[in-house]
Amino acid sequence: VVKSIFGPQTLQILEVLAGVSALPAAQIDLVASAWRRASDLERAEAWALLWRAGTAAEGYWVMGAASAARQAAKDAARKLGRTDWAFWAAAWDAAGAVAAGDLADREYQILTGPLATVMPALKRVSIGAQLPGLAARVPAQRDAEIRQAAGGGHGHA
Amino acid sequence: MPKSGGPRQARRGVLKDPFRQAMGGGLFRQFFEASRQAMLLVDGSGEIRHANRRAEMLFGYGPGDLRERLAETLFPGQAMAAHLTASEHETDVELYLELVGLRGDRSQFPAGVHVLSVATALGRASVLSITDITDQQRASFLLQLGLEALGSADRDREALLGHLIRAQEEERDRIAAAIHDDTIQLLTGSNLALQQLRLRLRDPEHVVILDRLAGTLSASMARLRQLIFDLRPTIARNGTITAALQDYLEQMRVDTGIEYRFEDSRTLIAPIRTSMLIYRTAREALLNVRKHAHAEHVQVELRDVADGSLVRIVDDGVGYSPADIEERPGHLGLLLMRERARAAGGWCRVESMPGGGTTVEFWVPVDRPRASGDGKRDRAA
Repeated sequence: VVKSIFGPQTLQILEVLAGVSALPAAQIDLVASAWRRASDLERAEAWALLWRAGTAAEGYWVMGAASAARQAAKDAARKLGRTDWAFWAAAWDAAGAVAAGDLADREYQILTGPLATVMPALKRVSIGAQLPGLAARVPAQRDAEIRQAAGGGHGHA
Repeated sequence: MPKSGGPRQARRGVLKDPFRQAMGGGLFRQFFEASRQAMLLVDGSGEIRHANRRAEMLFGYGPGDLRERLAETLFPGQAMAAHLTASEHETDVELYLELVGLRGDRSQFPAGVHVLSVATALGRASVLSITDITDQQRASFLLQLGLEALGSADRDREALLGHLIRAQEEERDRIAAAIHDDTIQLLTGSNLALQQLRLRLRDPEHVVILDRLAGTLSASMARLRQLIFDLRPTIARNGTITAALQDYLEQMRVDTGIEYRFEDSRTLIAPIRTSMLIYRTAREALLNVRKHAHAEHVQVELRDVADGSLVRIVDDGVGYSPADIEERPGHLGLLLMRERARAAGGWCRVESMPGGGTTVEFWVPVDRPRASGDGKRDRAA
């Protein structure tokens, strides 16, 4: 059931949501600052590649995760009197990248980088490998998970 | 023999106190008895050596009635022994199983069973911590139903929106064609008739009146032509967004004084439908700039990104608070921009903050929409 919401990476998305909601003001500022320092164009390219690469079902999960993270970040920022939208844009990017699952390292790094400055668990250790909380899966396993999660009728027609 | 097959007399002496060597003996017993969970201590042969009161109540047995039964009889037909044997060899691993429990009155219930291997006087044994997960499974089922309903509603909404956008374009085309082929032709004819009439007039006052009338007629025709352009911009004829957007920006500058910087570095040629979508979405963003932003400057940038078109529109206006705007119903413009991009297989991001201007960024593929949800991959990178 849980995987129907954000796809195979749902548990990791829940970690991101919880992490974003618990960030103190100083770290929110750090994330916003890191996001603004990054390249707009590279970010847009990463999103475009993420979007092109996925299926409609994955797109549904990506948008769901990104929207939920953006909302969680907005709420966290508002509670702490922070108004810079770069923070919730960073949460949007990171959650989208995590939900996409097997996004290439470069794009993953671009999209998660700003939030990873305060949430190290988002960082991939090396090419093709991730921290235990964000464990990489072999393609066959991933495809099986996608089929299983999409089997509930949540993919877009 | 155990209760399912007779007591095991030979081991009775050793088994008087199965907690004796298990994790501190007395302390473990206290924990076991006081636990709010139903707990069983099961030896290596699968026989229950101790059950706390919670377990007896959960399975509907009296005090001591579960002792010396095979644990498998509480979970019939579910290879309990295999799980227990497996857990014995993995002391640091806690297994979690979802099984069907069988009560003393033969009724069944879904059970969540944690299996933990511990050391006892007999050697390794297993502690089973059991929870009736009926409510959890019910909630899970309801959540699944809710998710399916939401997913279905979302797909319906997307289909409806796609239909609406197509119908809107078709209707715009129809109205534009009607104005061009009928109304403007009639007005053009009337204008020519007025010019002929003007040649016959001798009274200067009548000429002035006629000139005013002709001026009004010309203004009406100009407005109708603008309406045609709005309904069916030039991209519908020659497939370029550049001229259409530049025209719009220039008109906005003349009307409002908002300066602009326009840059289009795209080389990919988008099909008409995509071009129209880009134009409509950009125009929606610019309409917001014009109506709400109080901006002095707007920057519009189009470029090729990953076999698609990226459009960024950034203004230096008053911005808005997302909490005030996004969380209230009725802001169809923002919603339509996002949905248009999504319908075309792309994405759209609109961000703003009070005093910080607004940024609209969207990307749409120029050739094909994303694949349907069958799990197949087609990475473009």
